[in-house]
Amino acid sequence: MSYDDVEIEDMEWNNELQAFTYPCPCGDMFQITKEELKIGEEIARCPSCSLYITVIYNMEDFLGDSKKHVEPSKQQPVAVA
Amino acid sequence: MSSKAMEETERVETKEEEEIWSWGAGTEGQLGTGKLQDEHHPQLIQYSLSSFCPISHLSCGGAHVIALTSGGRVLTWGRGTSGQLGHGEMVNCLHPKSLESLEGIFITHASAGWNHSGFVSDTGYVFTCGDGSFGQLGHGDYISRCSPEQLFHFKTRHVQQVACGMRHSLVLLKGDTEDLIYGFGSGKRGQLGISDDKQKLVSTPQVTLGFENVKIKSVTANGDHSAAISVNGHLYVWGRAFCRAPDVYRPRRVTTDLLFSQVALGWNHALVLTCDGEVYILGRYNYNVPTGAQNANMMKHISEDEGVMQRVLDFDSTKVGQIGAGAEHSALVTADNGSVMTWGWGEHGQLGLGDTNDQTGPQVVSLIDEQSRKPCVGRVYCGSGFTFVVRTHTVNSSF
Repeated sequence: MSYDDVEIEDMEWNNELQAFTYPCPCGDMFQITKEELKIGEEIARCPSCSLYITVIYNMEDFLGDSKKHVEPSKQQPVAVA
Repeated sequence: MSSKAMEETERVETKEEEEIWSWGAGTEGQLGTGKLQDEHHPQLIQYSLSSFCPISHLSCGGAHVIALTSGGRVLTWGRGTSGQLGHGEMVNCLHPKSLESLEGIFITHASAGWNHSGFVSDTGYVFTCGDGSFGQLGHGDYISRCSPEQLFHFKTRHVQQVACGMRHSLVLLKGDTEDLIYGFGSGKRGQLGISDDKQKLVSTPQVTLGFENVKIKSVTANGDHSAAISVNGHLYVWGRAFCRAPDVYRPRRVTTDLLFSQVALGWNHALVLTCDGEVYILGRYNYNVPTGAQNANMMKHISEDEGVMQRVLDFDSTKVGQIGAGAEHSALVTADNGSVMTWGWGEHGQLGLGDTNDQTGPQVVSLIDEQSRKPCVGRVYCGSGFTFVVRTHTVNSSF
């Protein structure tokens, strides 16, 4: 059973993991790559546990030139000491 | 020997000894054990904290922990990759580490969110650090910070409490005036309570609606939920709804005759403790425990709110002293003997029962105490997938 349905705009792009992520209740993160989204995969899994979520997105947004894809408008966190 | 000297010689001194236990998900160092692994059995971590004891308050987040000492010092450990530990860098920390940047400031309250942290001083200042990408630090931007930074929005007000959820924060001000609760961060599910319409992101504190003429005792946040308890025992909830109902954009009082003293929020459920020491649950766990099993074993429908509030049945005769909620698990401490009980999702050992099984009803956690000292007072604190217990024993020692 899918733990939750999450819209792609609520997921965060993680440069290090090269994946869209969303918090998992175990403390780790659900993850899905652009390549997976391109082929219509809608399940984002957590590497630490058995839970997974269903990602709600429009597959066409991820097809073709990846540069055209609009990433979430949020900027990546910047460290300020 | 004078009689006064006799008295002093034979005086029996009572001294308090503190034990700290942790278990559950541990791969970010959040258990404070010095190891990066899950623990299915309770681990005594007294040693690493003993030089800082006594611990007056703990708050457990997504994968980090904030501890306050009775002397107002702050310790943090666990995941620090968003700056949530406040040590000036974005790295994990396996052992409790004193927060140097807040030294000299007496911290009375703190809250650990998913990846951010809030601290309140005795003088009413509030500081935040960690992930700020949803505006949840309240500094008017979307920048993360790895050292606690004072929220100048409240520099002329006295802040009493801060509550950090997954992507939002709440602040409770002290005083008899109105506008006592503020929210900032993600408001997509209504968790800020600042507007009747959907508000995506807010990076400066905004007034939470609906508390005109209501005096609030405490605020709580976890996941996309928010809750408050008024001084007269009324429970208010807003944000993501329980039981897949529509989201609640304006704080709503839960209609019941019961009076509440504490609320603990998960990601899909809330535990509430009544002033009579009874525990009720709102919503259900959102993982694969069959709903029917939950209903049959542990709950009794009591509220008119579409069956969302149900009593945890096992406690007809036992009074509960304190409660805690992780993302998908629950914990409580009994009032009479300080027993710790857990139930819910157990995949990471967060129930502390020695396995990874789920439990549909409260189970006693065995905290092996070599000296079996009594009485003891326990407090339980849950992070997303892990659990902490702080127990205080009163030890009599003759001199």
